[in-house]
Amino acid sequence: MAHLRSLVFAALTAAVSVWSAATSAGTISPEDHIAVAPDVAVNAAGDIAVLWVDRSPELSGEHENHDRHLAYTDLYVAISRDGGATFAAPVKINHDSGVVWGQSVSRPRIVGDAAGTWHVTYAANEIHEDFGKPALTMHYTRSTDGAQSFEAPRRLSTLTDADMSEIIHGGFMSAAAFQTIAAAPNGDVRVFWLDTRHMSPDLETGAMYTAVSKDGGATFSENVELMESKACPCCQFMAAADAGSNVFVGYRHVHDGNIRQSTIRRIDAETGEIGPIVDAGSAPWEIAGCPLKPTVLATRENAVYTAVYSGGEEVPGVYFSYSTDGGQSFARSTATHAEALVSDAPSIAVNADQVVVAWHAKTDKSRQVFIRTYGLDGQAAGGVMAISDGASSATGPVVATREDGSFQIVWEQDDRVYTKVLTGTSGEIQIGSR
Amino acid sequence: MLARFRAAVAAAAFACFAFAAPEVDAEVVQVDPDGLAAVLAAEEGNIVVLNLWATWCAPCLVEIPDLITMEDNLADKNVKLIGLSVDEPRGSTAFIASMRDKRFPGFLTYARARGDQDELVSVVDPAWNEVVPTTYVIGRDGAVKTRIQGKKSLEEFTAAVLAVAD
Repeated sequence: MAHLRSLVFAALTAAVSVWSAATSAGTISPEDHIAVAPDVAVNAAGDIAVLWVDRSPELSGEHENHDRHLAYTDLYVAISRDGGATFAAPVKINHDSGVVWGQSVSRPRIVGDAAGTWHVTYAANEIHEDFGKPALTMHYTRSTDGAQSFEAPRRLSTLTDADMSEIIHGGFMSAAAFQTIAAAPNGDVRVFWLDTRHMSPDLETGAMYTAVSKDGGATFSENVELMESKACPCCQFMAAADAGSNVFVGYRHVHDGNIRQSTIRRIDAETGEIGPIVDAGSAPWEIAGCPLKPTVLATRENAVYTAVYSGGEEVPGVYFSYSTDGGQSFARSTATHAEALVSDAPSIAVNADQVVVAWHAKTDKSRQVFIRTYGLDGQAAGGVMAISDGASSATGPVVATREDGSFQIVWEQDDRVYTKVLTGTSGEIQIGSR
Repeated sequence: MLARFRAAVAAAAFACFAFAAPEVDAEVVQVDPDGLAAVLAAEEGNIVVLNLWATWCAPCLVEIPDLITMEDNLADKNVKLIGLSVDEPRGSTAFIASMRDKRFPGFLTYARARGDQDELVSVVDPAWNEVVPTTYVIGRDGAVKTRIQGKKSLEEFTAAVLAVAD
């Protein structure tokens, strides 16, 4: 079986070298494939990694099933080693084809570290051997050769024997998903995910679980519960490390009355303990539903910047806030794009000069990608700028800070992944082709 | 939005339900934007309660029985409950039908076809924020009167519909 999988993997890896020739300006993913849920990261060498979920046509026949149960998707990464001018042929990350469970609201994540290693985490579909039912489990893999190859993925979450398919959304026996990952300067790699193992008919929230590597991803701790079941079970976690290797995690804390409040908590670098619940600054949003909204964040020195969708505001949409006291408190949030019909799906990054918030919004017929910049003091430094071309719906942007201080942005449009470079300082942003 | 909806009403007069090649699997029909517009246009004169739901959305599954009861209770007011599943469209209709038949027999629901779900829901709400459940009360004139988000009770749904019916 392992041999067969190796052959399949080798065949698919060989196939991707053909794809690179099919890409056009601004796009990274290949033609004739459906690429969704991109992520972007930069490592210390300045290399840029663009990750996406690929709904490969080669797999559709044998995996024509619902992607909540048995996926038909794979995970690919394309690397630029010349500052984003060109991207190498995509490399397939998962070894067993079709197992990746990912979409825009629960996307696989990639980070780079100071040693040049790429760390990837994603949820995978497994069929429980004893029950014959699907379960979602959390996986990790890394590349130490510049993303030319990835280690065999390791399961970080525990596949329990409890069958909760009658109460877990979508019929999974159990689910570990909505994950995030942070690589700290001290070499720690922390993976967080939303875990449903404590769910019951009377408890429909999720717990925050984590696994930690103290050796750059070579080994991981047992997975442990970091926070009891108080997290909105359909809102992806987001994490970022500060210069002191403390890690901040954003999520939606479910308070009494179904208030799903964007919340940021600090994980101490030394003790690994989670800090107090800190409100991220937006108005309370009462919603007995599935918001599917992350709480994104970025850190620099003693500041933490965040952007969220809030339905509790008088004008719902994407809101920005910041903390200048190490995440102990956040300013009252402000709308990034109050004029939009609807704005959603924020991403955020910071450099030495400014913060960039990206999101998608609809001002006319279709959603487009927009950005706005803020000073390190949290004050708006520029107006709303359109990034995508308006030709078709453009969604789900993710922005990362490049080594030269500019920003790399990716998004999804026409079933492909697009990218551009954002340069400039103090709110004066120029948009490059790549 | 209204212009598109009205155009669809006119089109439906000539070709009711002749929308773009729906995929039928176990009696759950996938609809694209034109298809959804045609479905709604055919209900002009009725009060339509359009419920966006998903098989993975626990609050959605809790409130659907109350919506069905509401429809039954208000039958004399020509209230029509229509579901629209926003589940991932690829290969999902059999699973949707299975869940519907097991938990909500008789629930009339459509499923989204391949394509942008925002474009689909924009037929009734260009400002939809992709939250489920979302329920729209659409008046007899075909105009959206109320948007309700999050799980609600039978009493709340009934009140929202009666506010439009009276």
